[in-house]
Parts: sequence; C-alpha cells; structure tokens
Amino acid sequence: MADSIPQSRSRDLDKLLLRPGNLVGPTFEAGSQLRDDIKECVRVLVIGAGGLGCELLKDLAFSGFQNLEVIDMDRIEVTNLNRQFLFRIGDVGKPKAEVAAKRVMERVSGVDIKSHFCRIEDKPISFYNDFHIIVLGLDSIEARSYINSVACSFLEYDSDDIPQEESIKPMVDGGTEGFKGHARIIMPGVTPCFECTIWLFPPQVKFPLCTLAETPRTAAHCIEYAHLIKWDEAHSGKTFDPDDPEHMQWVYSEAVKRAELFGIPGVTYSLTQGVVKNIIPAIASTNAIISAACALETLKVVSGCSKTLTNYLTYNGVEGLHTKVTEFVRDKDCLVCGPGVLIELEASVTLKKFIDLLEDHPKLLLTRVSVTYRGKNLYMQAPPVLEEMTRSNLDLPLFELMGKTPRDIVHVTGAAGKGDKKQSCSRKLRVIFKGMVGVTDMDMAGGA
Amino acid sequence: MIKLFKVKEKQRELAENANGKPPIKKQSAGELRLHKDISELNLPKTCSISFPNGKDDLMNFEVTIRPDDGYYMGGTFVFSFSISSIYPHEAPKVKCKTKVYHPNIDLEGNVCLNILREDWKPVLNINTIIYGLYHLFTEPNHEDPLNHEAAAVLSDNPSMFESNVRRAMSGGYVGQTYFQRCM
Amino acid sequence: MLFCRIWGEKGQAALEKASICLLNCGPTGSETLKNLVLGGVGSITIVDGSKVEVGDLGNNFMVDESSVGQSKAECVCAFLQELNDAVKAKFIEEHPEELIETNPSFFSQFTLVIATQLVEDSMVKLDRICREANISLIFARSYGLMGLVRISVKEHTVIESKPDHFLDDLRLNDPWPELRRFAETVDLNTTDAVVHKHTPYIIILVKMAEEWANTHGGKLPSTREEKKQFKDLIKSKMITVDEENYKEAMEASFKVFSPQGISPNLQKIINDSCSEVDSNSSDFWVMVAALKEFIASEGGGETPLEGSIPDMTSSTELYVNLQKTYQAKAEVDFLVMEQRVKNLLKKINRDPASISQANIKSFCRNARKLAVCRYRLVEDEFNSPVQPELQKYLTDEDYGTLQEANTLKVLPENTAAGLYILLRAADRFAANYNKFPGQFDGEMDEDISRLKSTAVGLLNDLGCNGSAISEDLINEMCRYGASELHVVAAFVGGVASQEVIKLITRQFIPMSGTFIFNGIDHKSQLLLL
Repeated sequence: MADSIPQSRSRDLDKLLLRPGNLVGPTFEAGSQLRDDIKECVRVLVIGAGGLGCELLKDLAFSGFQNLEVIDMDRIEVTNLNRQFLFRIGDVGKPKAEVAAKRVMERVSGVDIKSHFCRIEDKPISFYNDFHIIVLGLDSIEARSYINSVACSFLEYDSDDIPQEESIKPMVDGGTEGFKGHARIIMPGVTPCFECTIWLFPPQVKFPLCTLAETPRTAAHCIEYAHLIKWDEAHSGKTFDPDDPEHMQWVYSEAVKRAELFGIPGVTYSLTQGVVKNIIPAIASTNAIISAACALETLKVVSGCSKTLTNYLTYNGVEGLHTKVTEFVRDKDCLVCGPGVLIELEASVTLKKFIDLLEDHPKLLLTRVSVTYRGKNLYMQAPPVLEEMTRSNLDLPLFELMGKTPRDIVHVTGAAGKGDKKQSCSRKLRVIFKGMVGVTDMDMAGGA
Repeated sequence: MIKLFKVKEKQRELAENANGKPPIKKQSAGELRLHKDISELNLPKTCSISFPNGKDDLMNFEVTIRPDDGYYMGGTFVFSFSISSIYPHEAPKVKCKTKVYHPNIDLEGNVCLNILREDWKPVLNINTIIYGLYHLFTEPNHEDPLNHEAAAVLSDNPSMFESNVRRAMSGGYVGQTYFQRCM
Repeated sequence: MLFCRIWGEKGQAALEKASICLLNCGPTGSETLKNLVLGGVGSITIVDGSKVEVGDLGNNFMVDESSVGQSKAECVCAFLQELNDAVKAKFIEEHPEELIETNPSFFSQFTLVIATQLVEDSMVKLDRICREANISLIFARSYGLMGLVRISVKEHTVIESKPDHFLDDLRLNDPWPELRRFAETVDLNTTDAVVHKHTPYIIILVKMAEEWANTHGGKLPSTREEKKQFKDLIKSKMITVDEENYKEAMEASFKVFSPQGISPNLQKIINDSCSEVDSNSSDFWVMVAALKEFIASEGGGETPLEGSIPDMTSSTELYVNLQKTYQAKAEVDFLVMEQRVKNLLKKINRDPASISQANIKSFCRNARKLAVCRYRLVEDEFNSPVQPELQKYLTDEDYGTLQEANTLKVLPENTAAGLYILLRAADRFAANYNKFPGQFDGEMDEDISRLKSTAVGLLNDLGCNGSAISEDLINEMCRYGASELHVVAAFVGGVASQEVIKLITRQFIPMSGTFIFNGIDHKSQLLLL
C-alpha cells in the first residue's frame, strides 16, 4: 500500500485541521496555515509535571503544539513511577520538569519544551503573560488559585464592562482523584474563574485538636496527633518537613505507639504519608483520561476545529461510568475575574477625595471605605493601629500612591447601601486617570 | 482564537516598547478577603492587634488578649495568626505565643477551638476567631482538654486551678512546668 | 512491592497474575496498555501485523523515528518493557483479523483481551470466540473526535464494589441483644459532663429508641410527626448546646426508623437463577446461595453484619468497645456463613475448604454491596438493539432553550447516539467500498452521500425508520476520515484501561452498555442496547 505522495507526520491531525466542517468554532479556518500557526505561533504553558503534566506534554505535542514550556518544583520520587510514564528508576531525584521535557522531545520530533524547575510564585507575572494558553495539571487548590489570579489579572474590560477578547488568557484545568476527575475551560471574563466556583472543592477535613489529644478513635487521629502535637513537643523550634523521609518516619513510629496505647488498628506508613501530606490517590488511567480531555480542549480553544466544552466535565468511574458536562455561571461580582466598577479620575484627586467620591457613586454608595492597591494598603478604616499608619496617605493624590500607573485595579471594602440595609462588601474598581493613558491603551486593538 | 493570538503578539511588542511596566505584586483572593475582615475589625477593649511586618502584610499578625474577668484577669496573652492565600477556604493558623496554664491550650501553644478546625466555615471571619479566643479565657472548659492536667484540676478542684493559674501568670512552676510571667 | 492505595494488595496481586492480549497497537491500543503496564499487570502480548509508517510518528508515543519500516508490535512492546521491567512483554507480528479467522483457540490463554480499532465484522467474530472460551473482552475504538468502549463478558461478579457513598451497617433499627446490653452499661443521665458529651451517638440512639418503644407500645417512630418528636426527645437530653455527640445523634436519627431488610438490588441477586448452585457454579454464586439461606434463617431478613462503624464523637474507650461489639457480631455471622458455604460445597461435591476463609469474610463484609454485571453479545446488540432504548437515544431533543439567532448551532442531545450509528455505518461503508468515508481527500462529496445512504439503510435494518441523522454529523464523520487522533486515543485508552483494572481486580463496578465518547462537546453517553 505504498502511497505515491510522501506521508505527512500529521496524517491524522491534518484531517481535523485541514478540512472544513460544520460543527466547528466561529473562527475556524481550515488549512495548512492553521496547522503551521499552531506549530509556530502558539505558546502553551503546562503547570505541573506530575501524573497529569506528563500526559499533558505528550498529548499537546501530538496535537501539533511545538512551543511548550513546563513548570514544576518537584523532584522525581520512586512512588511516582507507577503512574508518571516519562520517568524511570534512574531518574529518581532529578527535577520532574526537566526529565519530562527531555523525554517528550526525544520521542516527538519538532517539539520544543522548555522546563522550569521552580515554584510558580518564583516567576514574574510577565512570564505568564507570554503564553497564549495555560494548562493546569495540579493537585493543589493554592496553586490553582494563584495561577487563576495571575491569568485574570491580564483581563481588561471596555467601558461597557465587556471583556476585551485579546486580553483573555484562557486556562484549561484538570484534576483527578482515584477513578474520578474533572476537566474545565476557564475563559476569564466569559466563563467562571476558579474563585467563582471555589466551593466545588470541598475543604479538607480537620480533626479537633482535643480529639487528637484526648479521645483518638481512628488511625488518622493517631497520625495527626504525632504530626501536629507530638512533633512540636519533641522538636522545639524545628519545623516539620513532610518531604523529609526521616521526619515522616518519626511521625509514623509515634503514631504507631499512640495507636497501640489506645488499642486502635490501622496505622501504616503509607496512610501516614497520605494523612500528613493530604495526598489524593491518583492512578495512571484517570490521569490519562483527564489530560486527554484537557489537551483536546486546548487544541479546540486555539484552533476552533470543533465545539468546546461548556464548561466543566466530570468523570466518575467508581460505579459504572458517568460523565457529565455542567455549565457553571460566573459570579458577576467576583473580585478576581469580574469587571468591577469603572471610575475615571483627574490625576490630582487625593485619596481622601477618592473615598468621598465612592460614597456618592451610584453603583457603589460605599461608606467607611478602606483601599488596597496591589498589596499596598493605602487606607484602612480599622483597626486603629492601621488607620494611624495609613492616615497620612489621605492627602496624597491617588495617582502618586498608585505609582503613576495610568489605569489599574484598586480594591476597596466598606459598607454599601443606605440606612438599616447597610452591608459590608468588597469591590473591585477599574481606575483610569484622565489624560494619562498612553499608547498601551487597548482601544486601538478594539476592532479585531 | 489563533487570530487573536497574532493580534496579541503585536500588542505585546508595543507594550514592551512603551511604558509597559510589569505589575509589581499580585494580590491573592485570600488577601482581598482578609483585607475586608481586617478593615471591619471591631474588637473589645480587652483585645488588640498588631502587624509586625508593617501595614502591607496583613497575612501575618498578632492578637493580644488581656482578660478583664475570670481566672486569667490581668494576664497578657499573645496569639500569632497566619493566613493562607486561599483564605477563607482554609481557616487561619493560630498559635498562642505566651506559655499558658490552660485546659484548652497546650504548652506548645496549640489551641483547641472548634472554629479553627472542624467547624471553620468561609462565612466566619477574623473577628469571630478573636472573640472565640477571648471566650477561652473567660470560660475555660475541662471537657475538651488539650492540657490534660490543667483540665483535671479545673474539673476536680477549681480553687486549686485558680491558684495554679495565678502562680503561672506571675511567673513560676506549676508541677514540673515553668511559666514566664505574663501579668 | 509498591501497590496502589486504591485497589490494595489483593487488587495488585490480581493485576500481577493477569495476562493480557492487545490487538492492534496504534495509539488507542498502546495508550491503553501503557496505563496497565504502569499499574503492574503480569504479562502482555501485543498482536499487530503492520509496519511503522511516518504518519504513526504523529500519533503514537511508543514508536519513534528509528522505528519507521519496522514491526509496530515490536517497537511498542520494547517501549512498554522499558516502562516496567517486571512485566513479561511479548509481541506477535500478525494481523488480528487473520488471527481471529485462522486461530481462534489462540485467545483462550489470556485473562483478558483488549481489541482496538477492529471493524464490526471482526468484533462480532472475536466476541463469539471469547464468549465461548469465557475470556473477558473489551473493545476500544477511536475515530476522529469520537470513540467507543464496550465490555463483553458473559458475567462479571463483584464483591468489593467500593461505592463512594453507602449507608453504614449499624442496625439501629433492630439492634441485636449484645448491642442492647452494651448500651445498658451506659447511663445517659450521668452528671459527669465529660462522659455525657463523649457518649457515642450509636448508644444514644439505641437507648432513645428503646425509651420511645417502651412508651409507644413497642413501636418505633413512623409518622413525620413522631420522627420530629423523636428528634426533640434526643435534643431534650442535651446538657449544653455544644454537645457534638447529640448533634450527631439527631442527624443520624433516621437510621433508627429506616426500613429493615435487604435492598431491591440484593434481592434481585439472591433471586437470580444462578443462586441455585451446582458443581459448575462459581465461588461467588455458592456464597450468594449461602447468603440467601442466611438471610432467610439466622439473619432474620438481614445480611451478615458488616462489622465496622464510622468515626463519631466518643471517648476512646467507648468507641473501641463499641467497635469490638460490632466486630464480634460480624464474626458470629461470618462463622454461620462459613458453615453454610461448607455445607453447600459438600452438597455440590466440591471440597468444603475450597473457598478460603478470607474470601468468605470479605463476602460477608460486602454482602450489601454485591454487583453482577452481564453483557449482551456484540452480535446481538448490533443485530437487534433494544429498540425502545435506541429510539429514545436517537430522538432529537434540543437543549430546551431557544437559541438566539446570532449564536452558534448547538449540538442536539442525540449526538452520541448519532455517532454510534455513523460509526457502524462507516464500517458498512468500508466493507462495501474498501475505504472509510472521507479517508482520502477529493472524494468527500461522494462519500458524504454514500455514508448518508448507508446510515439510512442501517437505521432501516434496526427498525428505526423514522429517525434521521443530522447532515452536519454525517459531514463531520466524513471529515474524520478514520483518523486516529492521539488525544482521542488517549482518552479512549484511558477509559478502556480503567475498565480493565476494574475487571481484573474485581473491585469497583465496570461500566454497562456501550460507551460513546463525544469529543465534540464532551456530552458522551452510555448506550444500553
């Protein structure tokens, strides 16, 4: 069956990208230009090089993306090998991101993967703005929340509170637990962001300390006793490091002693690790399913070659097989992704004047206002100690306090409403200083 | 979106050429919520708050409680608060920095207060916790002990408990344990 | 040895004993097997007759530049071996279709066969072979943005189904004498506040139910009003408002008046004709037969006690003793069951010790959660699908909301069923025209109309004359042109491997029906045909 035309490496993908279709995204333009753009122009960041991250890198590489970067702060452990297929026994101790990138580059020619062995917080915000789309393969709420806030910080709204398309930094997020998992698309300003739906993640169970100290009943109680109470007692000042096997061993043996004392069965080393590190058990097959869904959605968001997931997929294989797509809605007032209230000011307006303005602003009617800007507390109504420390700012122009930034987000809290119906609330404000907005203004690209 | 990406590319170059100063610091959702909590603090005169790292680090602060009633009247007790970036999804971590003879606070400073652990809910706030801590001093309870010996004494011999508390607060030994003066 | 916390040591041992055969090692097959090799299956045999082509480099991670022109089975096998050297990996360079035709007995050596990318005709033939030899079989297929996964096995029985949410087995609606007696040793009216707030809710509820029955002619609360009164009675016993154990008791009070006896699901299992055992019966059914006897006699309508209790506010001592009370009752029930199992084994001329104590124990612990899965022959599904179901799936129900004129077309809800019909039509198409619809560029228009008439013919044969498949979907299917996209293969392979793990470990409940992956908007569906 020798083909006369030399076969394309992207034989299968070409069918999807080079052929027109009816069930596609609004911007889809089939053709080799599209395929080449995906290869050459699109930069994708993968966060996490663990069970999901390894799969994601492989899946994205086979979806035509050639400019990938991956960031992960962990080193490879023996226990990773049963689900993280890019790692071998000889890799134990090496950074996950480096090895994962190297392995995928070895096998998928043409793809370039740059690895970053560091914490996500170590990178400047501008690092994240360099990518067209961010794919998350994480198992922590904190990390998701962080990336979400970074991605949402690039979002700009126009004067009608409509998100400006070119400022949207799409995210695709996946997560698994045993036979269950989820995949979702976050288009800041369009679909709910991570904070809009943080309630989807159940808070971790925390045992009362007095139960641990006085009335332990389960193996987990004994482990948490050793970890939270006994450790501090025995090691004054030394902080517990969950990644230090000696520390873990110490907690385990203390937990065993305690369990024996109370006649409680079930303390094992792996349970100790699970409880202390709050490890969510993961398996290869579920990671593969969820990563594939995420990579597929990434390709679709970028290329428009099909419909996209709207906007949350759950997969559950515990009892039979159940998949469900749910369309969650945004929290209009979300402090992270919401438009906030547009306020135009003269550059000479003082903080005091600004605060007074908010009281009369029809959309706000805020009293007792405190103001914070990019981690700097400009004015605090309470407690007295902070009020004193920030009082001197009141007479300064807000423009100066904001480092002469012509337009930016400011957060305020205060009491909204009138009379008895006053309610405390936080508000996001988009402050623009008249006549100060320079060439960076997005208006020029508005017609795209 | 690929066309948009190309537009973005152009803008990025423009932005870099212009005054596109990168943002300095990103406030987490937890910080924003905490900002609200702190700006609305309404503390009793027996409690005060301080920010050792200055006005711009609200995530780590100290609360000082000086009970004006009960066994611990006259004492000064300092608690450290450490707030997570996903607050209020996760409860603040609170430790008592003052070594205290108390049934619900152990010698390492761990505090047994339900709203700090199993009963924490995102609708609660920093004010609630401070009131909860204050309450521990006016009404220590022996039913949920973290310091077993202190709880036993409180339950069996309240007057002895009272004198133990006094001795500890004025600096001295209760049993084998030495307590620094905190009055 | 490392093992996965999810399926435990026993599950791991089952995986290590398993011998798996993979047919076709394109991306769907190799991704399926990859997940299983990582999980630690014992041995794999890869059957594929093709050579690695350049196009394979764009969708299969287990081949690389240097493999072009070589046996695909060999290359994939070598890569998988590298992943886990404990796995015995073999390959056979032969086309699975030929093997199915010429050497049907080949398949009986395996625990399970994973058949990927087979067309309808070969699926039907292989299914018959495996059914006859009693070999578990799973089909996986990736086709453009769609996929299919189907298990085929005569019967799969599960003891450890490990459901996420299952009511604990506390017997508060009918406490046995020892539990009553244990409760009697505790005084709810104690003046010791510490003891009062550390009395577990099980004891509170047993005692309160007794108190209620004594004042209500031996009956438990049944009406809504009575249930409320019962809760109020519990509340009245609280000394302070913060007694967690009493709050837990109020929350769990429904367990006192929940109906006695076994679930309809379990009723169905013990009434199954397989519970009439003979020498050919499996261990599972012998134990079900014993269970049936137990429920009718010693159990008094109930299964053996599970023997564990959830964590609850309690002193350590009371909790541990309560745990022991439950364990003791579970042990008594187990011994009765063990005797019944032995007797039954003797009756059917089997060694009375041939079912291990550990297995009977596990069976007793999970008696309320047993599951039996049965699968139709693929041939039966294909020739005579459950008509009303298929009609229902094919009925076009719009998403309910009227779409604004300027918004995009929304996929109809019957898309997954449409894809199922079209995949089968594509196989018929291939049998007639020696290529898949849209496989080659430049023949699209013709292929679209041919696929449409093939699909109409298929629907007629299935008795669904009234149903129509949307033009857009037919178009889409031709656009796919039998492509095997890596991400779709990874998804489908992931699903298949998850199901294989459930089948081999005999834990969790495998999927029923035919799973249709809809990669367009992810509204995938299980079709029960």
